Amino acid sequence: MKTLALFTIFVLIFGTVSTSLVGDAYAQKDPNILLRIATQADEQISNQLERSYGNSIPSDVQTLYLQGQTAVVSLKNSLPDDIEQAREDFLMAMKLFKQISKMISEPIEKSTISKSTRVADRDLSSELDRLEKYVENLKTISKKHNTGIIFDEIDQLIESARTQIETETASPEIIDQLKHHVNSIQQKIHDSSSDGTSNRINQFIEKQLKTINKKLTKASDAGATADQIGEAVKLIDQIKSSIENNDIDNAKLVFHELNKLVKNIERSVR
Amino acid sequence: MNPEIVPMHRKESLREDGMLFVRTEGIVDTMVKIPLLVASMIIVAAIMPIQSSFSSPRTLDLIIYPDGSTHVSTEIDVDPFATDYELDLFGSTIDNFVAVGENEFLLTSDVIGNFALIETFGSSVISVEYDIHDLVSKQGRVWTFSLDAPSNFTLLLPKNSAIVGMTNLPINMEIVDDKNQLTLSSGNAEINYLFSTIPTIPNVIDPVNPTLTPDYLSYALIGGVVAAAVIGVTIIIRSKQKIVKPIQDQQLTQTAQKIETIDAETIFKLRPDIREDDKEIVKFISDNGGQAFESELRKKFLQPRTTMWRAVKRLERNEIVEIEKKDLQNLVKLRKNMEEEE
Repeated sequence: MKTLALFTIFVLIFGTVSTSLVGDAYAQKDPNILLRIATQADEQISNQLERSYGNSIPSDVQTLYLQGQTAVVSLKNSLPDDIEQAREDFLMAMKLFKQISKMISEPIEKSTISKSTRVADRDLSSELDRLEKYVENLKTISKKHNTGIIFDEIDQLIESARTQIETETASPEIIDQLKHHVNSIQQKIHDSSSDGTSNRINQFIEKQLKTINKKLTKASDAGATADQIGEAVKLIDQIKSSIENNDIDNAKLVFHELNKLVKNIERSVR
Repeated sequence: MNPEIVPMHRKESLREDGMLFVRTEGIVDTMVKIPLLVASMIIVAAIMPIQSSFSSPRTLDLIIYPDGSTHVSTEIDVDPFATDYELDLFGSTIDNFVAVGENEFLLTSDVIGNFALIETFGSSVISVEYDIHDLVSKQGRVWTFSLDAPSNFTLLLPKNSAIVGMTNLPINMEIVDDKNQLTLSSGNAEINYLFSTIPTIPNVIDPVNPTLTPDYLSYALIGGVVAAAVIGVTIIIRSKQKIVKPIQDQQLTQTAQKIETIDAETIFKLRPDIREDDKEIVKFISDNGGQAFESELRKKFLQPRTTMWRAVKRLERNEIVEIEKKDLQNLVKLRKNMEEEE
């Protein structure tokens, strides 16, 4: 019986932690990708060394590079049979190449790509790519909500900005102009979708109020005080009145308060 | 032919321990062990999906742009009975945030620091997209992407980038539009890359870090020294100005407070139905010169982010305060024209 109980506990513990184990126990779809990445890194480092040092590579860098190359050769030889060895070789090679690339790099302080650094050195092409992706999202949402917003103008602006960037005549103003347009479209979508959103929230709250009423009846039977129930009922009335007046924002706020109150009531009668 | 059926595995026990013991073991086998095992397996089967259901991304896809900013798109299972969902973002410098529910319905959301509060109201799956500037850093020519991912994810690297360092084993790698796309497992991941140079073509300029030829190197060094000196002087001047500025600001705020903001008591008279806890917030803002950051309010009243956010929204609804975005934070200001509106 004791063994049985231990076995059951083991099964339960294993079941609980198994989900986290799954994440680690992954496998490459094709182990050759390790070789592809390592070879690409090797070539890149080789180019960087040639550019930075020519024929006079410092001995410590040279030693690391040779170790990296050896790891790549070992990785090549390990495939396809010894996957475990290949993985070790891959990680070793990439660790060494990373170390070398940092040594080759100028000793500049590490910087995060923040908004402030972007302002100083803006990459307009990346900014345009991001905005274009955002506009695509807005188009999909706009279509869904039947807003009738016409995107022709913004499409033309994107096209024009792209051309200017390609011909190196673009200025940050065109991106700022685009951002301004995008913001106004976003606002229009928000305004147009507010009716649909209100209906959705309305339905949700009405459905939830039924559940809350049941909970309150149960709590009342279990000994909740009349004051507690009265307060909850008052909030329910407030929500209903807000919904009737189409004041969804207020209904949402009061609903949050009601939820909190119901939880407290349930806790108090437990 | 023997008509008697004797289970083979009990034959031995019969001989050694007697019928009574054998029968007991059989009962344990048939009555206890199997149902227990079945129950355990059911519990395990039930636990596993619950563990990975709500709040865990179904999909997570990242695209790194050449300037190091990253586009994040994720699909998350959320509780359909909850009114909102608090999404932890991978950083705090967020642009172009969009959250949509099922059927592409736009969801109201508010990005506060490094989390987003999304009003889900019945949605069971939400899709979120945003741009973030916190995941990639740069040291010299080397760009480093680092992320503690909650699930497996795909990462599309910029065009012409070459991976030169990795701390994890990739699950897969594909080429998408001439770019490397990696599939990586959950957990901490760090990838170092640099923009590829073509050594066969002479004088090719690295798209990100133009390499200067030796002729220009000395000019660059002199320019660098001059630029550093200018920056240094500017910083010193600004820091001196900052010391003076708060005193000026303080004076201005005090004056403004006297002239423009109405005191808390007047607000309570104008809004008699205001909640007691909200009154405390209003009093604090009023004492603070008519404005305070939401983070300051949280610290002062030791409230969780969502609770304070709702309180502030409630005050905004009651037209007592107005919310402004300042330095990526919510600045809560008492409305100046309350009396006039009344």
